[in-house]
Amino acid sequence: MSTAHSHREARRAEALESFRVRGMPHRRFEHWRYSDLRAVLDAGQVAQAGTAHWSIPALPEGVEQFDLAAPNAPAWVLKAYGTIGNRPTMEEASLAFSDGGVALRVPAGTTIAEPIRLEIAGGGNLRWLVVVEEGASATIFEPHGSDVGLLRNVGVDVALSEGAALTHIRFAPFTPKSFVVEHIAVAVSARAQYRAHFANFGARLSRTELHITLGGEGAEAHLSGVTVLGHDGHADVTSHIEHAAGKTLSTQLFKHVAGGKSRAVYQGKITVREGANGSDSRQTARALLMSERAEADLKPELIIFADDVKCAHGATAGDLDPESLFYLRSRGIPEKEARRILINAFLQEAVETILDEDLRAAVWHEVEAALPRAMESAK
Amino acid sequence: MLEIKNLHANVGDKEILKGLTLTIETGKVHAIMGPNGSGKSTLSYVLAGREGYTVTAGSITYNGEDLLALKTEERAAKRIFLAMQYPVEIPGVTTMNFLKTALNAQRRARGESEYDAISILKLVRAKARVLQVNEEMLKRALNVGFSGGEKKRLEILQMSLFEPKLAVLDETDSGLDIDALKLVAEGVNALRSPERSMLVITHYQRLLDYIVPDRIHVLANGRMVAEGGKELAHELEATGYGDLGKVPA
Repeated sequence: MSTAHSHREARRAEALESFRVRGMPHRRFEHWRYSDLRAVLDAGQVAQAGTAHWSIPALPEGVEQFDLAAPNAPAWVLKAYGTIGNRPTMEEASLAFSDGGVALRVPAGTTIAEPIRLEIAGGGNLRWLVVVEEGASATIFEPHGSDVGLLRNVGVDVALSEGAALTHIRFAPFTPKSFVVEHIAVAVSARAQYRAHFANFGARLSRTELHITLGGEGAEAHLSGVTVLGHDGHADVTSHIEHAAGKTLSTQLFKHVAGGKSRAVYQGKITVREGANGSDSRQTARALLMSERAEADLKPELIIFADDVKCAHGATAGDLDPESLFYLRSRGIPEKEARRILINAFLQEAVETILDEDLRAAVWHEVEAALPRAMESAK
Repeated sequence: MLEIKNLHANVGDKEILKGLTLTIETGKVHAIMGPNGSGKSTLSYVLAGREGYTVTAGSITYNGEDLLALKTEERAAKRIFLAMQYPVEIPGVTTMNFLKTALNAQRRARGESEYDAISILKLVRAKARVLQVNEEMLKRALNVGFSGGEKKRLEILQMSLFEPKLAVLDETDSGLDIDALKLVAEGVNALRSPERSMLVITHYQRLLDYIVPDRIHVLANGRMVAEGGKELAHELEATGYGDLGKVPA
């Protein structure tokens, strides 16, 4: 009993020490170039941010839940808690400073059809984790509230056993005065699948960092996302997918619309480890810039140690296609509406990857609501 | 109904139209023939109000109104239609939705009531059948993966749906085999009416065998150099554009 508790305490002490030594990430950290967190936030503010809130209004039958604020964590929690991924400094901070969070377990062989709605609210550090056991499958819908305050720093562990499948849809609203950081560490076993969609509407600084290890043959990760920014919004999605086993597959499709003085960042690093033959990775990031002062930084990166692999990546940033705009206007569609149609079409491709109809509609609803902000300073 | 006087237009810094004058009568089909680079497509884009095509001198009057003062979409609402040589592919926008949005935008601009989804579907279906545009095409993304013939048929379907007073057909024959050409020409001929003028722009006489014009104008080097009846097409086919439009030394 006390061993389990002290196990987590030990992990927390280790995280605290690690955060203290490394400090806040800043522009000279690898992959923090476009999101200089240290310039706007200091370590003391992170340490004193408290703990953000989580709630699951209706836990579907068959899913086990454990409140991380409680003592005596079961073994399945301890096994995953803060143990996945490369533990960057802000993840250490969420481990060190959060007094709670939630852990979910989907037992082997169980299919949970109904999405698990995990709401995140308030400011502070927070941890959550999900363990999907062998052959089980579930969907987590994670809407974030806009009541962030200064900082929300969420650390997530996802452990997928053989043949497991998790769909993860995360929605982050426009929070212009806040700093929002999240780190999602995912371990994908053989033939398991992680599908995720990130809908970002911008913060003063927003950083979504993913570290995904495809650790067994046939493991798959499919990431997509839309970022719609206006004013001086910022949203940074940085992913690192490691193909650590053969015949693994990853796809990424990120679409950004940036207006005003906003900044959209996508950095996608793919590592194919030695021996991970037959791996296939595809990565697409596109940005539409709606104003001259908006900025998009798209940076694909490939590091390949295996021979027989397929890696494809593409990144483009620019304005709407003038030919398409002219075509629509020549059919009587006013310029503003024509632009809107083309932007919708651009974003739709990424939103369509959400297979659940209700969740897709929910995300699309937010996209529609955010677009006027992004188009405000459009020509 | 359309009067173009001494029109000069640039694309970028380059002057393409150099004093073009043309009058189009109500209910008539006029054809413009001319060699590559003579300014045919530039004229069609200037009529539609495309950005980057700058009129530097001259005037265009459309039903008594200064056409050049109108935005592209306003011209469409006032029933000017341009069937494009290269219809644009727009992924993510279904053809049916596009047709509905465009027709309702035009109606809104004219102060007419908008069609609901069902009545517009009926209208489109009825017109589509004649042009052999099938249901499946209407569900697909606009022009995406359409064959050359399908794209041109969809242009004519739009013309039929929007009921223009002036339809400009820019190289509608390009990229079509003879069967596709006949089908498109039939579609166009079905839309001939005493209230509708057409301006058929083509490099070859072939199209004019199927869409027989009332007048033929020859454009070369940015201005009109010859004019005649429908027989002029065949004369040009025999003699070629030759020295027409050479700038006098």
